[in-house]
Amino acid sequence: MEKKKMEGTGISRRNFIKTSAAVCAVTTITGFPAILRGATPKEIIIGSIQPLTGPIPEIGIGMQRTNKMAVDDINARGGIKSMGGAKIKLLLADHEAKEEVARSAAERLIKAGAVCLVGPFLSGPAMAIATLAEQRNVPFVIDVAAMDAITAKGYKNVFRCFPKTELFMQSIGGFLDQIIKEKKVNIKRIVVSNVGDAFGRSQGAAFIKFVKDKKWPFEIVEHVEYPLGVKDLSAEVAKIKAAKPDVLFPVTRTGDAKLMIRELYKQRVELMGIISPGSPGWYEPDNIRDLDKLAYYVLDNVPWVNPKSPIFKDVNGRYEKMYPGQYLDTNSGWGYVGVQVIADALERAKSTDPDALREALRKTNFKDHPMVGGPVIFDDKGDNINATTALIQVLPDPQMADRVKVVLPNEFAQAPYVFPWKQLWER
Amino acid sequence: MNTDLVLQLTLQGFLMGGVYGLIALGLSLIFGVMRIINFAHGEMMVFAMFLTITFLLSLGLDPYLSLPITAAIMFGIGYGVQRIFVNRILDMPEAMQVLVLVGMGIIFENCTLMIWGGSDISPKTSLALSSFRLGALTVDVPRLIAFVLAILITLMVILFLKKTSIGKTIRAAADNRFGALIVGAHIHRVYGFCFGIGAACVGAAGTLLVPLMPAKATMGAPYTLISFVIVILGGMGSLFGALVGGLIIGVAESVGTVFLPSSMKQVVSFSIMIIILLFRPQGLFGGKG
Repeated sequence: MEKKKMEGTGISRRNFIKTSAAVCAVTTITGFPAILRGATPKEIIIGSIQPLTGPIPEIGIGMQRTNKMAVDDINARGGIKSMGGAKIKLLLADHEAKEEVARSAAERLIKAGAVCLVGPFLSGPAMAIATLAEQRNVPFVIDVAAMDAITAKGYKNVFRCFPKTELFMQSIGGFLDQIIKEKKVNIKRIVVSNVGDAFGRSQGAAFIKFVKDKKWPFEIVEHVEYPLGVKDLSAEVAKIKAAKPDVLFPVTRTGDAKLMIRELYKQRVELMGIISPGSPGWYEPDNIRDLDKLAYYVLDNVPWVNPKSPIFKDVNGRYEKMYPGQYLDTNSGWGYVGVQVIADALERAKSTDPDALREALRKTNFKDHPMVGGPVIFDDKGDNINATTALIQVLPDPQMADRVKVVLPNEFAQAPYVFPWKQLWER
Repeated sequence: MNTDLVLQLTLQGFLMGGVYGLIALGLSLIFGVMRIINFAHGEMMVFAMFLTITFLLSLGLDPYLSLPITAAIMFGIGYGVQRIFVNRILDMPEAMQVLVLVGMGIIFENCTLMIWGGSDISPKTSLALSSFRLGALTVDVPRLIAFVLAILITLMVILFLKKTSIGKTIRAAADNRFGALIVGAHIHRVYGFCFGIGAACVGAAGTLLVPLMPAKATMGAPYTLISFVIVILGGMGSLFGALVGGLIIGVAESVGTVFLPSSMKQVVSFSIMIIILLFRPQGLFGGKG
């Protein structure tokens, strides 16, 4: 006797019941309870926004590499264990060093499902992303961006691993006192120069205010500001020369630092040295390579890697192998930490819910990082209370990668510092 | 006021102005003959800078030696771009011409980015760091060489246009396109040639800038703008005007830093442009070129 088929379908009732039972069993065993709980996604999306093109792409590319490296390390360790080993997926975006692009890039990443954002090297874009993150209720972990104003508004979703400008000033104050005392130098006249973007202006102005408040015995005889991406600094250096400073305190980016040193050389500007209150431009591999001897003896106050930390040795070793000629520095180092801090918070939050993640970030106490300073702990404004800087100096060494040395504070120092320097044309 | 500083800045600005003049010369020539503005001008210059750097790094050729090669390559590129793209838009409305040439600029910039990457590149060249003292002034040698060569090239181009047969045809085509066609000038080839010379000039300027500043793929746009300002100042289509305009803008920008913060030095050049447009819209040497 022919089996009775369900009307119009060609499927027998028995087959239908069997298949339905099998489907139910499979979903019960595998994914269905997870969907009900809504807490263990297989993949957690984090958005990384860095300046990959525009006036400072080399730093942005380096930072995105370490953002990615941190994600790979976390996934290799088994992902976010409290969420069933969920893997992190990093979505990449470029803000081109422009505020408006930063905002739209962040918007795109959030729409693509990013549960947290990391980036963005520059203070202007950081400000733009911070506002958006607050509006969209998405946590935003700033790896590098120093301007005080970013966290001053007290946004609840914004956390910054990097030191704020105020902290830079506190440490440069200590270092300067130590140098003046130890080397018994008589600094009378100084010039402050800064690039004219958000960070440069904020850092330059903060340093000038700090010098005036501290009542040091030296006078700021000139303040020179020039636009980001400048291609000719001859007029600016002529102004610096005319001011006859003992020490130059520049806040630079990468290209302008090269231009400045070369102009100082060509115009034979006599100085005791260059001490940056804290800025890029002096320690990057391509600057060390292109400037060679001219890069020597510049002092820079930056939140540097801790050369004595085993984590630094491990991460830097792998980074140098992956990208020959590069090494972990301030920016790429904090790029690595930024993502690690997010992963640590996800682990504790056990969820990608923004409120849970934000609360977990607020309780962060992340020790295992390769930078100088203590564990990453955020205050109520979202600033890392243990972020600090080291004074680094470019010193002669046959190996280009080993030329940047921590010289102060003494606990991290790899070499004694040289001050005053040897004039640029006498090397 | 510090007289030495003002003199030093005037000298630096004057030397840089020569190179500015050479950059603007190409733009002015192309505009004078074809009545189109090459919005890809700055990007073409950057492309030439990277060609020069490639010759330096791969063959060890000093920029001053590779200058003719770079200029020749840029001539070829300019000729090709004109024959393939620009020729088709000569009779189109201005807005459409602008779109095509801005598009060319974007293509040039992105080609440079794809080939050479986005970082600042400033390889060591033989004379990059040389300078000498002249009383209280410091003379930057690569800047001086760039100035001398830029002036020489400018004069050569002007002579070429005045004395040679093809130069005269270019001028004829600029003067009266229809008339030149009637007397049998191969007008499209002449235009191609002219665009090629414009590109070669800006290519040579790019080469001369290599010892002076780091090259970066995205640095072209401000140079298009500044050469546009110079051309307006000197008079659209006037070659001599481009040279004088370049020198004026060079000195004004440099000396302007005494009175204004450096980050505002472009205010000086744009203010000059506005004043010229208000009181002498044809430019300093307009109508004589």
